[in-house]
Amino acid sequence: MTDPASNLLPATNEDTCGPYFPIFFADPGLEDLTKFDPGVVGQAAGTSLVLRGRVLDRHGELANGVVMEFWQANANGVYRTPATEGHADIDPWFHGYGRLRSATGAYEFRTILPGAAEGRAPNITITIFSDGINRVVTQMFFDNQPGNEADPLLLAVGDDAPKLIARHDGRTSSGAEVYVFDIVMAGDGETPFFDDLES
Amino acid sequence: MGNQGRILAIGPTDNTSDQRTPRQRLRLIPEEARSSFVPVVPARYATTPHEWDMTRTAPDRPRADGVPIEVTGRVRTASGRPVAGALLEVWSANHYGRYRHIEDHSGLQLDENHLGLGRVLTDDEGCYRFWAISPGAYLARPDIGRWRPKHIHMSLSGGSSRLITQMYFPGEPNNATDPMAILMGDAFERNIGRPREVGTADVVQAFDFDIVVGGRNATFFE
Repeated sequence: MTDPASNLLPATNEDTCGPYFPIFFADPGLEDLTKFDPGVVGQAAGTSLVLRGRVLDRHGELANGVVMEFWQANANGVYRTPATEGHADIDPWFHGYGRLRSATGAYEFRTILPGAAEGRAPNITITIFSDGINRVVTQMFFDNQPGNEADPLLLAVGDDAPKLIARHDGRTSSGAEVYVFDIVMAGDGETPFFDDLES
Repeated sequence: MGNQGRILAIGPTDNTSDQRTPRQRLRLIPEEARSSFVPVVPARYATTPHEWDMTRTAPDRPRADGVPIEVTGRVRTASGRPVAGALLEVWSANHYGRYRHIEDHSGLQLDENHLGLGRVLTDDEGCYRFWAISPGAYLARPDIGRWRPKHIHMSLSGGSSRLITQMYFPGEPNNATDPMAILMGDAFERNIGRPREVGTADVVQAFDFDIVVGGRNATFFE
């Protein structure tokens, strides 16, 4: 295989995180992005939402011990990155990166509804680490959001687009919108996963 | 070679790999969506000052059973830039091959002086250092007699660099049959710690494990 950038250092191989990712490393501030940190006054702007669902394996069983990471724009559609430092629409109380570990494979993540970034429908990138695999990455969308029909990622997956769209499922007593998004890691109904290496 | 994504390989003799590896070809990310796929992990982590020493559960506690080792290395991107201020989360089994994790039901021996949990930050040059107990290998699949070789888990997050990997040990008999090592092929060499001279009387062995975050772990904002 020819590598056009052969002056690059060979990368360390990814490896599975195994079944024992330490719960000790959990950080409540990364499991609820609607507020800055527990016990601190600092509320992220935007519509609060609860995203819940299941991570399922090839047999439809819950994939236990998964680590899930989330990445999204703030309510104004701006991602907090080095490129947007000082941007007027940065929310000081929202960074957009979340992480949780689910013992059972069922998950619940609290955040705000991301705004639409330029040329995109609102979405959340989800990375999964688990025993037996290296990371896999997908992106989820929200049903009935303007822009879904023109989003380049949803268009790229064609008939599989519905597998990437979370279903609205009412709201909590505290007013958070509930969305349900199941991820099927393998087999029937498999969720599309994304990569930027060509084979 | 075509304009399509990869098919992921399944680790041989690995049940969870069979159950959880996507069967469909990965989809290539459209250019317009590329930047949205690169999380930037905020530098908001704290580590407690004694966590770099995983050979004890606390500074006032005795050493755990087994061989204390030092692991050092430098974290860089594929183009050689140091990854500074990144969080390295480290976890490993004790001398007997047991994790102090509530979901490890192997029944192997626990050690009251061993947690196997540590967090360190890389310095301005991307360098890190920690002490650990050389972990035991353990029988991962009693039904077919397959062992997991000695290994230390590492999770690196800093800016747009993200990698979960494992450091293995040279010359271990179980390295060759590890499902993930088999998938890595010749590149498995990169995941083996390099023994080096021990610079302190406090550890018995020392290893260098340099990490390069690259390939599919794009560092978009470089």
